[in-house]
Amino acid sequence: MKDVDKLLRGKIPDSETGIEVRKSICTICDPSALCGLDLYVKDGKIIKVEGSKDHPYSMGTLCPKGAANRQYIYSEDRLKVPLKRTGPRGSGKFEPISWGDALDTIAAKFNEIKKQNGPESVAFFSGYTKYFRPYLKRLAHSFGSPNYLTESSTCHEATAMAQKLTFGQPGGPNLKNTQCLLVWSANPFHTNPGNARAILRGKERGMKLIVVDPRQTPTTARADIHLQVRPGTDGALALAMANGIIHEKLYDQDFVANYSYGFEDYREYVRQFTPEKGEELTGVPAEKILKAARMYASIKPAAIMPSASPVVHHTNGVQNYRAVFALVGLTGNYDITGGNFVIPPSFIHTPGLIPTREHEFVQCRPWSEMPPRVGADRFPVWVDVIDEEAQAMHLPSQIRSGEPYPIKALIGFGMNHRMWPDSNGLLKSVGELDFFTNVDIFMTDTCKNADIVLPACTSVERSELRCYPMGYIIFTQPAIKPLYESRSDVEIIYELAARLGLEDPLFKAGYEASVGWILEPSGISVAELNKHPGGMFVPNPMKLAEKKYLKQGFKTLSGKMEFKSKVLERYEGKSGFEALPVYTPPKYSRESAPELAQEYPFILNTGSRLPMYVHTRTFRLSWTNSLRPNHPAADINSADAVRLGIKQDDAIRICTPKDAIVVKANLTEMVQPGVVHMYHGHSEADVNLLFEGDYLDPLSGYPGFKSALCKVEKFEEGGCH
Amino acid sequence: MDKAIYLDIELCVGCGACAIACMDQNDIYPEKGQPAFRRIYRIEEGKFPDASIRYLSVACMHCEDSPCVVGCPTGAITKNDRTGAILVKKELCIGCHSCALACPFGVPRYDPDEKMEKCNLCTERVEAGLEPACVRVCPMGALKFESPNKIQGVKESKFVSNMVTAVHRAGSRQ
Repeated sequence: MKDVDKLLRGKIPDSETGIEVRKSICTICDPSALCGLDLYVKDGKIIKVEGSKDHPYSMGTLCPKGAANRQYIYSEDRLKVPLKRTGPRGSGKFEPISWGDALDTIAAKFNEIKKQNGPESVAFFSGYTKYFRPYLKRLAHSFGSPNYLTESSTCHEATAMAQKLTFGQPGGPNLKNTQCLLVWSANPFHTNPGNARAILRGKERGMKLIVVDPRQTPTTARADIHLQVRPGTDGALALAMANGIIHEKLYDQDFVANYSYGFEDYREYVRQFTPEKGEELTGVPAEKILKAARMYASIKPAAIMPSASPVVHHTNGVQNYRAVFALVGLTGNYDITGGNFVIPPSFIHTPGLIPTREHEFVQCRPWSEMPPRVGADRFPVWVDVIDEEAQAMHLPSQIRSGEPYPIKALIGFGMNHRMWPDSNGLLKSVGELDFFTNVDIFMTDTCKNADIVLPACTSVERSELRCYPMGYIIFTQPAIKPLYESRSDVEIIYELAARLGLEDPLFKAGYEASVGWILEPSGISVAELNKHPGGMFVPNPMKLAEKKYLKQGFKTLSGKMEFKSKVLERYEGKSGFEALPVYTPPKYSRESAPELAQEYPFILNTGSRLPMYVHTRTFRLSWTNSLRPNHPAADINSADAVRLGIKQDDAIRICTPKDAIVVKANLTEMVQPGVVHMYHGHSEADVNLLFEGDYLDPLSGYPGFKSALCKVEKFEEGGCH
Repeated sequence: MDKAIYLDIELCVGCGACAIACMDQNDIYPEKGQPAFRRIYRIEEGKFPDASIRYLSVACMHCEDSPCVVGCPTGAITKNDRTGAILVKKELCIGCHSCALACPFGVPRYDPDEKMEKCNLCTERVEAGLEPACVRVCPMGALKFESPNKIQGVKESKFVSNMVTAVHRAGSRQ
């Protein structure tokens, strides 16, 4: 074999092979990782994907999703041209139209609705990815609509709500310096390799690790203490830990006395949650609760690593997480090195150690000058605390009721209806709209219901601004041209702004000019960023002091850390809105619904992560699917399976009073007996159909995806119901 | 042998990034019936709540004294002098599966044309000074490409350091 053939076979980049390495980032999961990519390009085509060694987060590595980028980019299922629906909604019958016609149709429709019903009757939704969100939010508000909605209506914002109600500002775990890490329901070893590596480094220097998780995972396997809670009882566990900490006087008396509000009432409330009571409510042995409480409270500094959605995907989710975050204040670990340290976000929820004008850019029209957002009446605390967006869980109800005003049109970017509980109910509501457009990379089931479908490109075909917590910033450049007729989401947004006739100087100035405007306070220019296609460290990273509250106070109503929320005191007497982090069992649980539990004895927990998938984003790829050949499958404890006569890979039926799905059984000792874990987003077995549309946390509007009641049986025709 | 791929099972979390990076590097498409060179195993032991789980990422071991090389009647399997990789010349493979009988690890797999397929140690990459694709991608650093004696040295010093810590702790307790 000739040398050059050999080099080509090995895909070795050099002048002889003509293979060139270009930089980009992976945004299949988003935004906490965003690993650096080295794309091996030959003749304009990517032939191999590798992690960038010079990228400070991923350091040359990738997760299985990132490693599968080439199959994702070149998937046969990619949308290739703009499409106009010709058959009934859902039929998948479309005909190609030109970009010009598609965008003109959308703009004309939106302006017509604006004239007849007002701009608020047009809603703008973002699913994954997240890079275009600032521009989409500006588009909504510039148009005059308060209804910018995102998938954050089920992810992250409720966790932020619990933190904001407690401290005013969330503080993340300072992994590098902590001596004791309490991971509360996250499995970074399968979802965030950078955090996993930080845990390994921490353990090497003697850091203690406590992990709360209803399952056994690679994270719990490395824990000094694993608290295997029953799903939905996190609040009771946190209160029982607080009981132990207060009883043994391990709490930070100075912090509690001088910087907190409502401690006496909290102490009084916590009295009933003895470790024994904690064991009864959570299933975690009392001595383990006490051991964890002592470890977390006595080792300094200690940090809590929260998760974006698991704890808040319960009907009692925000109250549960408030009880957890109260521990941070109780032990004086708020905003200290090695504790839960406050770093203000720079761009798209992520700190970058630079000041930006993101907020001014996105909130180009104040909320007060627009009608109330979708969900404002039903979830008032959302409006009190969450500044970013409307609550999309209320969207189907408002479309149906037309109250307080009708929603007539919707444009989604990566919108997937399977995110909603009663997912088909959402789709039905969308069917009642005058007009629905979805922008996506693939022809999804949601797209099949749109009037117009627009093809978006992937991260390697576009340019996007991102920053990283270590003070790193990147403005990516397209490594290849957008495939087929696809375009970047941002290009679509700017084109729409022009066709809508918006008198918006930054939309008129263009994308790069907008990025420059946002970055202006940082002193970093787009020209400078363009010189560093793989990204660069920010020249003057912000220096952040500990205990910023000493000077600024807490951004809460009392100006202090609140064991008892002043925001929630306004809702006195309203169930679920208690000012103390009160524990109530999940709405559908053995405790709250004993009669239902007789017929539906299993706890249904959904949405755990597998390492090769994030939501549905890599479902179509043979590479990722080869790692999970039996999916869709539900994890069930083998003791339960034996009792029910179920063997590995048998078809099983999971039923709730609302609906049923049939999936394969995956027998494992990693889940608790009595709990069935089902993965979400499958077209052929959509577990969200099993939930009622109003099975929501009254504070956040988040669905109770991680604890409901169900029954499980071996699938035979005619079983169940 | 110069360098070999090692798996630290303490670090492997069974994510499968290595298997996918290998398929990307070697243009392997499972939907076409092409076998993966690297496979992931998940082994549970014990019963709830005392169960434990281990993960393994497995591919050809590129044995120094390879039974498959000896077993192959057509000389299709050879050892590369420079890298120590065991390589298959597919044009010589007759699909007799002798290598499968000989291999103690169950590594050889067959493509739709019944030709043997397996890990080639990313020979071209290694000769160009790069790590094998699976090693490069591994987010946990569980896969390493090193000389066997160096790996053993690292393992040994880790063991010694753990032992010293344990002795020290035991001493301070008394």
